[in-house]
Amino acid sequence: MKKLLLASAVATGLGLSGQAAADRIALVISTLNNPFFVTLQEGAEAKAEALGHELIVLDSGNDAARELSNVEDALSRDIDALLLNPTDADAAASGVRSANARNVPVITLDRSASAGRVASHIASDNVAGGRLAGEFVAERLGGEGRVVQLEGVPGASATRDRGEGFVAALDDAEGLELAASQPANFNRSEGLNVMENLLQAHAELDAVFAQNDEMALGAQRALQANGREDLVLVGFDGTDAGIQAVEDGQLDATVAQQPGRIGELGVATADALLAGESVAASIPVPLKLIVRD
Amino acid sequence: MTSLTLNKTATRLLIDNKAFLALALLVIVSALLSDNFLTVDNLLNVLRQSSINAIIAMGVTFVILTAGIDLSVGAVLALTGAFAGAMTASGLTPWLSVPGTVAAGAGLGAIAGAFVAYGRIQAFIVTLVAMTILRGAALVFTDGRPISIGATPAADLFWQLGGGYWLGVPIPIYLMFFVFLLCWGVLHHTRFGRHVYAVGGGEKVARLSGINVTRIKVSVYAISGACAALAGVVLTARLGSAQPTAGTGYELDAIAAVVIGGTSLMGGRGRIFGTLVGALVIGVLNNALNIMGVSSYFQMIAKGAVILLAVLLDSRSSSS
Amino acid sequence: MTLRGIEKGFSGVKVLEGVDLTLQAGRVLALAGENGAGKSTLMKVLSGVHQADAGELRLRGRPVRFATPRQAMDAGIAIIHQELNLVPGLSAGENVFLGREPRTRLGTVDWSRLYRRAGELLARLDQPLDPRTPVGELSIGQQQMVEIARALSLDAEIIVMDEPTDALTDIETEVLERVVAGLRDAGKSLVMITHRLPEIFRICDDVAVLRDGRLVHDGPTEALDEDRLIRHMVGRELAERYPYEPPLPGEVCLEVENLHAPGVHGLGFAARAGEVLGFGGLMGAGRTEMARALCGDVPARAGEVRLRGRAVRFASPGEALAAGLVYVPEDRKQAGLLLAHSVAENMSLAALTAFCGPLGVIRRGRERTAIDHYVDALQIKLNDVDQRIDTLSGGNQQKVSLAKALMTEPEIVILDEPTRGVDVGAKREIYLLINRLKRQGKCVLLISSEMPELLGLSDRIMVLAGGRITGEFSRADATQETIMTAAAHVEAATETATQ
Repeated sequence: MKKLLLASAVATGLGLSGQAAADRIALVISTLNNPFFVTLQEGAEAKAEALGHELIVLDSGNDAARELSNVEDALSRDIDALLLNPTDADAAASGVRSANARNVPVITLDRSASAGRVASHIASDNVAGGRLAGEFVAERLGGEGRVVQLEGVPGASATRDRGEGFVAALDDAEGLELAASQPANFNRSEGLNVMENLLQAHAELDAVFAQNDEMALGAQRALQANGREDLVLVGFDGTDAGIQAVEDGQLDATVAQQPGRIGELGVATADALLAGESVAASIPVPLKLIVRD
Repeated sequence: MTSLTLNKTATRLLIDNKAFLALALLVIVSALLSDNFLTVDNLLNVLRQSSINAIIAMGVTFVILTAGIDLSVGAVLALTGAFAGAMTASGLTPWLSVPGTVAAGAGLGAIAGAFVAYGRIQAFIVTLVAMTILRGAALVFTDGRPISIGATPAADLFWQLGGGYWLGVPIPIYLMFFVFLLCWGVLHHTRFGRHVYAVGGGEKVARLSGINVTRIKVSVYAISGACAALAGVVLTARLGSAQPTAGTGYELDAIAAVVIGGTSLMGGRGRIFGTLVGALVIGVLNNALNIMGVSSYFQMIAKGAVILLAVLLDSRSSSS
Repeated sequence: MTLRGIEKGFSGVKVLEGVDLTLQAGRVLALAGENGAGKSTLMKVLSGVHQADAGELRLRGRPVRFATPRQAMDAGIAIIHQELNLVPGLSAGENVFLGREPRTRLGTVDWSRLYRRAGELLARLDQPLDPRTPVGELSIGQQQMVEIARALSLDAEIIVMDEPTDALTDIETEVLERVVAGLRDAGKSLVMITHRLPEIFRICDDVAVLRDGRLVHDGPTEALDEDRLIRHMVGRELAERYPYEPPLPGEVCLEVENLHAPGVHGLGFAARAGEVLGFGGLMGAGRTEMARALCGDVPARAGEVRLRGRAVRFASPGEALAAGLVYVPEDRKQAGLLLAHSVAENMSLAALTAFCGPLGVIRRGRERTAIDHYVDALQIKLNDVDQRIDTLSGGNQQKVSLAKALMTEPEIVILDEPTRGVDVGAKREIYLLINRLKRQGKCVLLISSEMPELLGLSDRIMVLAGGRITGEFSRADATQETIMTAAAHVEAATETATQ
């Protein structure tokens, strides 16, 4: 509190407008071990610099306990807003409550928190992404054919939302049949095994949708080994390896999230909040389909 | 007389390996429920998918027979798989990179084993620490990114270890049976094998029987590490790249295979054949659930139930 | 309490057949019989561990049925099993009241009452040990006393003791006998399963003898003498109990000088080939510790050991075995045998190298031949060498333990309580084996707490106390009295020295 007073005193002394002065924003990020979140962080940093805010980045290393202590550390450094990218929706709730208790506004990024007051939630619209993938498959197959889906970790929100959008798109295109939908836990070697099993079970298949690029790359190995590279194969996430595979023709498409945009929008929303503007409770970030040119 | 002994052997096999019964049941049920299960292609497929877990589990069997535990195999697999990937990417022939990788795995295992044997720290703790450190080491070594084996002639040969065929049978299956025969021979036909059982059956007894208990302990962890490294080679070859987080949770699958196979976690009792069967039980289960299109939410329940059933069968047979 | 027509079988094998037995208040009943005669099973039926297949139990005239040991305990029947049932990590007091800890009004454990009462019970047994001592730190004899204290704490009307004196020294046995007499005079009914015949005649009022699951004798002790009792037990005449053969004097093959190790404080002796050198003393006198130091199981701190004149220092039992010295430990279950393994695996374990070809591959045929030879030579009774060793009787287990040691073809054999928990018939066979080893020119160090056995078999006897040798006797000079004096006398001396 003292620091804040001092900061505003300095700001007033310099004659700057209150909200433009260096607000301190913390970004507690689930992991920096994954390029996706590194890109998110970079987007946030660029935006913070452009708006003249100080951004503190803390890495939770995919550990909910460390995330909570990161949040507490950040709060003790008198931040003005908290951008939280939770490791887990339930575990994030206590962090959000700590911030609520200190009246620090919280914006969740990519994953939501299951409890506590959150000013805004910014995330890719996974349902829309799934639908995008479904529509792409429908278009490639001319509206007719048998399709399988490789699911992520059962029960994860990304698994649910991507599946929901994808199945909805298939339903719209009446000629498409979902022959099987099996979990491969977002994992490359499981993607390979499950795809092999599905090829055994279903002689006639026309397309595969994998709910992330890792599983898609595993499935690609299985298709290659079985000489079934004619199948349409769509991934999700637009990771470097995924995009590379699209360029090499191994994947037909990947639905790319825009992690940089998420980070950017996070800082922009915090800026708006601190300026006293009202913000939407949920801000969807559009996805884009990456196809080989 | 011969038929009598044969009969006795067969009965013995069933009594000793209730897991085998569980596997047979599982195969029959799967075949009844799905037309696609009992095809040559699919069975080869199951064997290939089981090979990685089976190879790891056979190594872990040695450790568990001495009443130890090895939680580090998944991490050893990740790190050594990355070694293999990097060596192959640099153009080194598999004739050198594979033995090198296996030796590295054995070395990592031996270090953990030395802490267990000489440091007298509980195996659970030592290998938990090893798991944490080696997971980190794998991330550092790969810089968190997959290492592609590339497209050199060495890489093509290396790839054969995971994706190749010989006489229509995938190479990993040969590797699995090779490891099985080797482990079986060592455990049941050598002095070393007897000593492994003796250390697990009673360390004090083993020591007073003139067995170098510490040497045996270090050796079993080295064997476990070597098997995990070979599994790492197969996995890297299958995927064509080494994943920084490969093998997460594999230690539990391996322990499950060992336990389903009837090896006692208290040490001293168990058979390598049981472990092979245990790994196949898990493999068939994964395959059958996929083929039958069981919903993802029910798959884990089904897996847990089958593992529990297999273990129950075994514990009832051994207690009576 | 009466038992009528009790039958019990395990997987088709009848262990008890129509046993009738009556227990009377204020009397001590000895239950005798060879190992495997069904004594322990009968007592387990009585105490609710097993349920009878047929027959009935009556308590004060009323039929009862115990589904669990707990029910039997509640009815006033306590059993002290042969295998100690104690938690090593808990204190003596906690073990006495395990599961029945006294509570304070708040429901927490009333520690001061627990330890006070445990201390009182132990004092009744003449065991002035601190009830806070962890059981794992107590000697086997003291642990046995904790077991007995637990039974006393139950205030049971019927107390069954399965081989209670087996692990006790003579002094501790005397204490126990006094306690048993006291309980009898207090009107309790006691049952003692025991192999030790003198004990039966000293403290038991009645004797019941089981043979092959049937009751073959039941009556007051006065009507019997040792020989007739043995005849009832084994069903045949036994020749001379301690078949002694004079030694063939050989070379000195083991010399020990000023040996220091944990529990051993400056010990020296020499032993010849073809000689049985007996080691007597009280429990805790350092005999087992001496054996463990000699075979390299624990490091010697100082002193010299010479084998055939050559100085040796073994870092492990493996080195000792290679040099021809083998130790057969007292504790078969913990140190001697792998109970969950087969007879064959146990027997050849220490001698595997002899059967190994290149790469350590075991030549099964050779191994099997050697195993069959020893099964034959030691008359080990079994169905199949691949059967689990814990399915054998105590005597046969001990013979396997001996065969395992002999397979290494040692020059020096250290036998630590080789007849503990072994029935009369098997004991004699072990004595004959010891004589045969002597004839073969091996040097046998025999540690035994059974005085007649020690006197009956040894060519010379060393007495240990406090980790030192306090007496050496030729066969002619040794008597129970001289040995006890040497064992106890210096005990007193060391006590004054330490004070």
